[in-house]
Amino acid sequence: MRSPAGVAIRAVIAAAAIAAAVGCDALKPNEMGPGTTARSTRTMDGKPDFSGVWQANNEANWDLQAHSARAGMVTQAGVYPYEYARVAAAPVVALGAAAGVPASIGVVEGDGEIPYKPEAAALKKENGEHWIDRDPELKCYLPGTPRAMYMPYPFQITQGTNQIQMAFAFSNASRVIHFGKVERPPDLTYMGHSVGRWEGDTLVVDVTEFNGKNWFDRAGNFHSDALHVVERYTLQTPDVIRYEATIEDPNVFTKAWKISMPLYRRMEPNMPLLEYRCIEYAEEFMYGGLRKQQLVKHWEGETMIVDITRKVPPGDKLYEWYRR
Amino acid sequence: MRRRFLEALGVATALSAVVLLLTFAREPVRAQTTQPATPAPEKAGPAPTLPWGVPDLQGIWTRDSDEPLQRPAKYADKATFTDEERAALDRQISEIVGREATEGRRQRGTEQDVGGAYNSAVFTSHLRTGRRTSMIIDPPDGKIPAVTPEEKKRRADMLEFALALMQATDECEKHLPACNGGKYGPPSPRRNEVAPAYVMNAVVGGGGGAINRSDGPEDRGHGERCMAAALPDFGGFRRIVQSRDQVSILYDVGQGQGWIRAIPITNSPHPPKGVHMWWGDSRARWDGKTLVVDVTNFSEKSNYQGAHQNLHLIEKWERVDSETLRYTVTIEDPTVWTKPWTVTHDMKKQSDADNRIYPEPRCHEGNYGMVGLLAGAREADRKYAAGKGPNPATLCLGACGGFAGGFADDGADANPLR
Repeated sequence: MRSPAGVAIRAVIAAAAIAAAVGCDALKPNEMGPGTTARSTRTMDGKPDFSGVWQANNEANWDLQAHSARAGMVTQAGVYPYEYARVAAAPVVALGAAAGVPASIGVVEGDGEIPYKPEAAALKKENGEHWIDRDPELKCYLPGTPRAMYMPYPFQITQGTNQIQMAFAFSNASRVIHFGKVERPPDLTYMGHSVGRWEGDTLVVDVTEFNGKNWFDRAGNFHSDALHVVERYTLQTPDVIRYEATIEDPNVFTKAWKISMPLYRRMEPNMPLLEYRCIEYAEEFMYGGLRKQQLVKHWEGETMIVDITRKVPPGDKLYEWYRR
Repeated sequence: MRRRFLEALGVATALSAVVLLLTFAREPVRAQTTQPATPAPEKAGPAPTLPWGVPDLQGIWTRDSDEPLQRPAKYADKATFTDEERAALDRQISEIVGREATEGRRQRGTEQDVGGAYNSAVFTSHLRTGRRTSMIIDPPDGKIPAVTPEEKKRRADMLEFALALMQATDECEKHLPACNGGKYGPPSPRRNEVAPAYVMNAVVGGGGGAINRSDGPEDRGHGERCMAAALPDFGGFRRIVQSRDQVSILYDVGQGQGWIRAIPITNSPHPPKGVHMWWGDSRARWDGKTLVVDVTNFSEKSNYQGAHQNLHLIEKWERVDSETLRYTVTIEDPTVWTKPWTVTHDMKKQSDADNRIYPEPRCHEGNYGMVGLLAGAREADRKYAAGKGPNPATLCLGACGGFAGGFADDGADANPLR
């Protein structure tokens, strides 16, 4: 997943050559939607052009660190008392193999470890065990930075002449990257305050002013409001961004650490950014226990007790299905 | 007892009051700072263009004056105000919203009193009155066209249901404006029915789509659920960023109900009909110096003035000069209105460095009001069942009238531009 530097450099040179050959005037924007490859990789002021619809294609949102596949998003001890023999737990058991967690080689650079302070490591572990209750993603809260960049939903970058704006499908989140002098936001934020600069052909973005309410993934990796992220965006090919984020948070980590991954252009012709406006999808989860007529019959205060009663329709029993 | 209940409902009810402004009356909500951060220079320069030859629409934009969407009946015969009339209206509005609500204006401890929680000190700053008596330019009378017979029926059904849920309240007993069109009576058996529409739009007694019941979040309407942002929108702030083949618009509207929109500049078609979205699917093209955006594929849950999935917008964005962006939108839905109608207004450029736009829609992240409101309603149910509290059907849960937004429901202290 990490290209040798030489390849990246060659790709940039090739991109520059294409840009020079095509020339800005040759562009006919109305004939080219996002996701089209026949496009310049540079803006008219010579900067790499990141505009388009992009998406990570990895397992980072499950866990930034390397991990094996798991039987379920939520698991419980199986009959055999081994950690590797855990089975899917009630909230997802009816979903079978669609509710598992895919394996990953991880996106944390170096030794793959996240340098938690001891007390923070304990909280991370506890977070993971209370994933359903604590992960802001389940409530459709703004995902934060860098998590928004690698959630399994597309996002759109619009690179203007003095700002870059990003629109994310998940929860309709957004970011703007300022260049030059700009007032900070009046309050701390979920998505951070982003100020960019160019280092050659790399866009470097300094992100601060976090409110500390976000996580990095579904594994409980977290940060405080002292988070400071430095992102680096480099066009590896016209359709791949190499994305790096250096993460500092003296409240939580003993030193800075870094994640890196490719972000891929959504190549489908006519690919719009489709909404995932999930507030409504989280309402039952958040407020269901306060309904006059409850849909889930077993709320005890704020505790949702899920009974899995799944009636198999006639003709769909396992052996019947198997015989078809 | 009743007073404690009202306190429990305070946050949510007050929220619904603002939602009333946001979605029901469709007046711009100026919850954030309302004055342009940097005054526009006396003389505007020519409209700038981008290196690839199209107009530059980028920047932070907002209205610098207030014009009603529809022409008020009392100005039916005039399209513009004189400068004297504008000054007089500004004085009148400022006096009304600036006057502290006192015992003489509204009775403390009443449900109407809760609406006044959003007084001038908090949320009801107003822009100066603009030149025109309506933002609607077509039809020429400045009014939204007549609705279709089917829509009339839908609205009547919604109103009837909403009023049935109100009928045992003080508002109906005292013939207050929140019960206009309804009657006082015992709790209606209709309280056990599902509402006749998912989006209870444009009904008296239910601001922002909320109805007088809190059986679940759906009863509270889009506004209190933090889902009120809709297209088109004529209030708040915009930040536009533009590349050769995309336009991105951040809307800072309502109270933390802003949103972002990504528009491809393309000749490619809209997605298949089965793809429905709250803010529709936008496709833009340049027509000379005007960016024309066609918006379709709205959702059944989208709500603009009662239009849902059949809404179709044709927007025009024009950079008039260095300081001015003109937004014109033609709104059509043959299932709702008998003909299309067109709205236009100008926005003024704000300083990028001052960055006076609030980018994060945090309504949902901080929606303690919804929890408080539903929990309060369940507590009221329990107390009533135990014989220790009033019948919940007799309580008004928001949009109960009073001084919501700083104006009275009617009389001398009503909004003169309404």
